[in-house]
Amino acid sequence: MNGTVVKNQLIFDFASGVLGPAKSLFASTYLQLNSNASKISSTFENMLGENLMYNENIHPKNLKYTDCISSENTKPTPNANDPVTSFFGKLDNLNWKQVYKGFKEYTAKIDDKDELKLIKMDPGVSVPLHSHGGKEFILVLEGSFCDEYGEYSKGDIQINDQKIKHTPIASRHTGCVCLSITEKDVIFFGKYGSFLNLFTFIKSFFKPK
Amino acid sequence: MEKSNLDDSMKRIQKDRDEMAFSEIFDFFAPKVNAYFIQNGIRFESSEELTQEVLSTVWVKSNLYDSNKSALSTWIFTIARNKKIDFYRKNSKINFKEEDVREFLYQDREIDLIEENEAKKQMERINNELDEQQKIMIKMNFFENKSHKKIADELEIPLGTVKSRLRHILTKMQEFLR
Repeated sequence: MNGTVVKNQLIFDFASGVLGPAKSLFASTYLQLNSNASKISSTFENMLGENLMYNENIHPKNLKYTDCISSENTKPTPNANDPVTSFFGKLDNLNWKQVYKGFKEYTAKIDDKDELKLIKMDPGVSVPLHSHGGKEFILVLEGSFCDEYGEYSKGDIQINDQKIKHTPIASRHTGCVCLSITEKDVIFFGKYGSFLNLFTFIKSFFKPK
Repeated sequence: MEKSNLDDSMKRIQKDRDEMAFSEIFDFFAPKVNAYFIQNGIRFESSEELTQEVLSTVWVKSNLYDSNKSALSTWIFTIARNKKIDFYRKNSKINFKEEDVREFLYQDREIDLIEENEAKKQMERINNELDEQQKIMIKMNFFENKSHKKIADELEIPLGTVKSRLRHILTKMQEFLR
């Protein structure tokens, strides 16, 4: 599937308000880091706004404009400037779990069918060749990584599905921190593949319910 | 009511807390917002409560609206959408957790918005180049959040056709949005 279409779908679903909490956080961070995505989102919101402008009328029965003037109760707006920090807190303070040397992850405690994770790779560290059981979305928060398909830096998104096998390598200078959404567990190939597959298989039994 | 009249009413609310101006905004938008909730599968009594919340927000937070950044209908749409998310969150069968992230993600998000003129041009292009059925499909899919299956049933076309057409629309829109 065309990656651009999947990216747009994510943005449009966010603007429509149909994403679960994990993908909402992911998409919101994406829009914040990537001005192109943000522009697409606001154009799409304009389209939806125009749909509202020309929407049919179903008149409320018992509602008058005065009912809306009297209630002046407003909640203070939480600061939503940086979704990742607002949600996770300072990244350095997280209880990172080392998967193997130079590769750490932190799984968000979030009630959703999609798994939301932070991934931290030290400079030059690579992930063994693997493919994906379901769709995986990776957003670069800091630093950069590259694989057979190109280089990804801060604000870039990579979408992987069953057809893609790749070997991501973190930048030799900066390493990288990424936010990832996994719809299903990844399948590993190569030297350490069977071990890592076993690991993810075993891990799936210990998922918090 | 003309778009420019609505913009004018909004300015009067912001400047003078003009209640008559608010009644004009209310008369125009309340039935449309109410319809939006019903189209999204929310039953009548709840839709009316949500409509009240949306219009109350327009009144109370009118100072947050910036006509240079977005059209009034876009701003009101985002308020209605956020109320919808909130409603689903509170009424979902999954145990609703206080820390559901969506609450803070969708509130008054300041994003890197496009210039008004650029937005207008893009909208014109999109409107010109999409045909009627494509516009209807966008409305059904993203505004009314109908499933592909439901769209297929209502338009009486095969499910596969709905999927491929929507994909085509998304690709086409990517071209407009460059």
